[in-house]
Amino acid sequence: MDATSKLIDLTEINSVVDKHKEQRWPLIPLLQDIQEKFGFIPKESVPIIAQKTGLFPTQVQGVISFYEQLYSEPRGKKIVRVCRGTACHVKGGSTILKLVKQQLGIREGQTTADLEYTLETVACIGVCALAPNVTVGNQVYGQMNPKKTESLFRENGG
Amino acid sequence: MENITITLDGREVSGHRGMTVLELARESNIYIPTLCDDEHLTPIGACRICLVEDERTGKFLASCVTPISSGMVVNTQSPKVLKHRRTIIKLLLASHPDSCLVCDKGNWCQLRKIATDLGIGRIDFQHLPNWTAVEDVNTFIERDLSKCILCAKCIRACQELVVVGAIDYYLRGFATRPATFNDQPLESSECTFCGTCVAMCPTGALMEKVKTYRGAAGKSVSTTCPLCGCGCSISLEIKDDKVIRVRPLDGVNKGTLCVRGSYGLNFVHSRNRLTKPLIKQNNGFEEVSWDEALGMVASRFSKLEEYNPSSLAVLGGTRCTTEENYLLQRFARCTLGTNNIDSDNRLFRTGLLNKDDYFDSDSIEHADVIIVIGGDPSCSSPIVEYKIKRAVKYNHTQLILIDPRQTKLSAFAQLQLHPRIGSDVALLNALANVIITESAVVSGIRDHKGFRDLTKILGEYPPQTVEEITGITADNVFRLARLLASAKNLVIIYGTGVTQHIDGLDRLRAINNLIVLTGNQGKIFALQRESNSRGAIKMGITPNLLPGYQSTTNPAIRNKFEEAWGVKLPTMAGLTAMEIIQQAKAGNIRGLYIVGENPAKSYPNSTLVQEALQALDFLVVQDMFHTESAQLADVVLPVTSFAEKEGTFINFEGRVGLLQKAIECVGDSQPDWQIILQLAQKMGRPFPFTSLQEVRDEMERWVTSSHGIDNVQLWAVKYQPRQVDLDFPLALLTGINLFGIGTSTRSDKSLLLKGFSDQHAIEINGVDFQELELIEDEEIKIVSPVGSIRAVAKENSLLPKGVLFMAGSTVNRLLDIDLNPESKSPVMKVCHVRLEKV
Repeated sequence: MDATSKLIDLTEINSVVDKHKEQRWPLIPLLQDIQEKFGFIPKESVPIIAQKTGLFPTQVQGVISFYEQLYSEPRGKKIVRVCRGTACHVKGGSTILKLVKQQLGIREGQTTADLEYTLETVACIGVCALAPNVTVGNQVYGQMNPKKTESLFRENGG
Repeated sequence: MENITITLDGREVSGHRGMTVLELARESNIYIPTLCDDEHLTPIGACRICLVEDERTGKFLASCVTPISSGMVVNTQSPKVLKHRRTIIKLLLASHPDSCLVCDKGNWCQLRKIATDLGIGRIDFQHLPNWTAVEDVNTFIERDLSKCILCAKCIRACQELVVVGAIDYYLRGFATRPATFNDQPLESSECTFCGTCVAMCPTGALMEKVKTYRGAAGKSVSTTCPLCGCGCSISLEIKDDKVIRVRPLDGVNKGTLCVRGSYGLNFVHSRNRLTKPLIKQNNGFEEVSWDEALGMVASRFSKLEEYNPSSLAVLGGTRCTTEENYLLQRFARCTLGTNNIDSDNRLFRTGLLNKDDYFDSDSIEHADVIIVIGGDPSCSSPIVEYKIKRAVKYNHTQLILIDPRQTKLSAFAQLQLHPRIGSDVALLNALANVIITESAVVSGIRDHKGFRDLTKILGEYPPQTVEEITGITADNVFRLARLLASAKNLVIIYGTGVTQHIDGLDRLRAINNLIVLTGNQGKIFALQRESNSRGAIKMGITPNLLPGYQSTTNPAIRNKFEEAWGVKLPTMAGLTAMEIIQQAKAGNIRGLYIVGENPAKSYPNSTLVQEALQALDFLVVQDMFHTESAQLADVVLPVTSFAEKEGTFINFEGRVGLLQKAIECVGDSQPDWQIILQLAQKMGRPFPFTSLQEVRDEMERWVTSSHGIDNVQLWAVKYQPRQVDLDFPLALLTGINLFGIGTSTRSDKSLLLKGFSDQHAIEINGVDFQELELIEDEEIKIVSPVGSIRAVAKENSLLPKGVLFMAGSTVNRLLDIDLNPESKSPVMKVCHVRLEKV
């Protein structure tokens, strides 16, 4: 985390913030723009955003921490989503999740140290016929089993 | 305004447009329970306890956020409403611990009260406790999140009232809690520990940190905080004759308070309080009876008075009540027969802007332009700071700071001018120059008798020339001058950064010029240091003024008082505070009566002051504690604290704050007024008073009409450059710390405050810090022409080169007695020093 923080260019944050100077309720679009640029909202940007929007840093932090889709930590290049929907559950989705966790060495919501993968769970991805399902990036991997899980990240360069 | 009529619980009531159902219900004496509502906060409808039923639609509305609309039929007590309220309370209780019996909040818990009112005992919902560790790392506040109901009162108090914004909601759902930025503990956040959130918390989630269970107070007494000149209304919660908690009330402070008021008042119960009169014997002090102590004071004063009344003097009064001040000056003038009476007001303010108007400080919040000159209200008068920040944050007020230092307010300022130390008059004159040359003056002022002289002088201060003196660019001078001239609601606030300089009086006059030229008379506040600085002046604790600002030199006025008091008043001009000290040193003042002051520490050149006090034939000190001055006294008289007496304080606005007796007098201590009455009696000249009310009645006779000094005056003042002694090239600025006040006699008795009030740190600008090759926290020697002290060096890169800053009274040992020739006020704001490595 700290290694990545150092890469954050404050002038870039400022230029994103300045784009929203004239906007009436700029906070959320501004946060989305920052996230677009950096993949997440760096902590260092919060006081700058607060100052420009006339808010307290705690208020900005409150908004970031409220919305699921705003991230205050760096995200992996690929988002791994293990399905916990009913069909996948019945077909052993929770075991798959456990294995994925072991494989990546992280828990739900976390990102691997090399910033390759972020692990999330999802309620249903709509292909219950293939349960249990895992998605990596935009690719769906159906009918998962322990063996396939093991090869999954090797295949993806993990 | 248009009235709207609604039916509320079957009654027709009307209110104005924009009013909420809750407000109208309160006005109509209909009780609706609330948890997240507070009159000072914006309603957010978070707790839903204030639900009411709209009978027309059958909908349930949170009354705190529902505006009334015509024809509404609202039921606040229907069975359905009560059912919903019960469910809400049960849901809140489902995640609340069952620890009411041992919760310090006790009967003051609003959640418990509402649950009781609704008849809810144990609940049948499944408990879903939110167990978290009690957070108590900081010195002042303890937080138990398991009791938090997420009403956001603490958050809103911090953001809307105190404008610090240290906390806001963090995360969502069940994990939600108020948190600081980056979820750091409070002590590493922006928090100033003002305690407003603690006072607002409806449950026991936020409490002041105490070592042991204290329980709930049996009674509460409303009174006035004595720890600065703001005069905040507070309520003392009393249990077993002890003040166990302090809560803000709705006076000038509007439900807020600062760390001193919230956590500093336990000096009242300090073990170091004096409880018996003391007489100095060969080997230390001996406890004696009141009779003996007062007898000794009376006989020694009488002897000195027979010899020469002008050899007697009185110092003190700014911490006493107004009634006590009245008695004290009457004691000096009638009983002792001298005009040698003054107080530490001489150190903090000058007499120019003493006009006895009441000026509501709410005007700060409604101002469009606020100028703060030479003041750091964040430390000296926190309530004023809150008002300034509220204005800037929520009212788009423009804030301009004129100060050599950056202060906490800097983050809120639109324009900051940092003039070179000592150059303020030039800057203020340049502003007046621009206002006049741009014809932005108020109409009619050109006919004023002082106008021509002023314009003549101001010709020497064009902004371009002044830039060389002050270091302020001409552009900024023009900008500020135009802002000043165009302001519709101007407020100027000044502090000791104006008054405590050698040209303090001229600075005030130059500020006054700006006010008169722009027609803004009266819109000026002085930050007041002590709780009753204003009362002391108003009552005549100053050598040349009798009560009601009436001159002692005017024979007609003197006659009026002589008739009423039945004595001959002294005609000789009295001595001011520093002159009393100087004359004591010279042997001309031989007896001194000090009331609630500690000159040995608070006056400049502490060493000389101590020698002067030692040189006296007879010194009486009347105080709560055995202060540095009391150590030198022949007789020490123990007085009660503010919590043990009645009376009034006058705050910086001119507002009268009432003191009420909350606890019994500690030990044998007595209120100042009773001591003065007894002393007068012992000296054979009793006052005709048996109660405080009689004192008040007489006192009010003299001050009913305003005798203020005419403010509509223009002064042609000149900037006078001062030579710098090359041996002492650095300018040490003095100031105060948020956690300590005065000489810290009282605030240090609160262990909580003492931990924070660092009296031994000196802030050094980055350039000099580097040049001296200092390291952070290195001990360093500070040398001035009259003395030297040691302090711990801290780098402050925001200070300009050549400038140092130190808070507290230790620095007084470095100051020489350098008086303004006219006001006789000593220079206390700046001291020229050099630094030496230890």
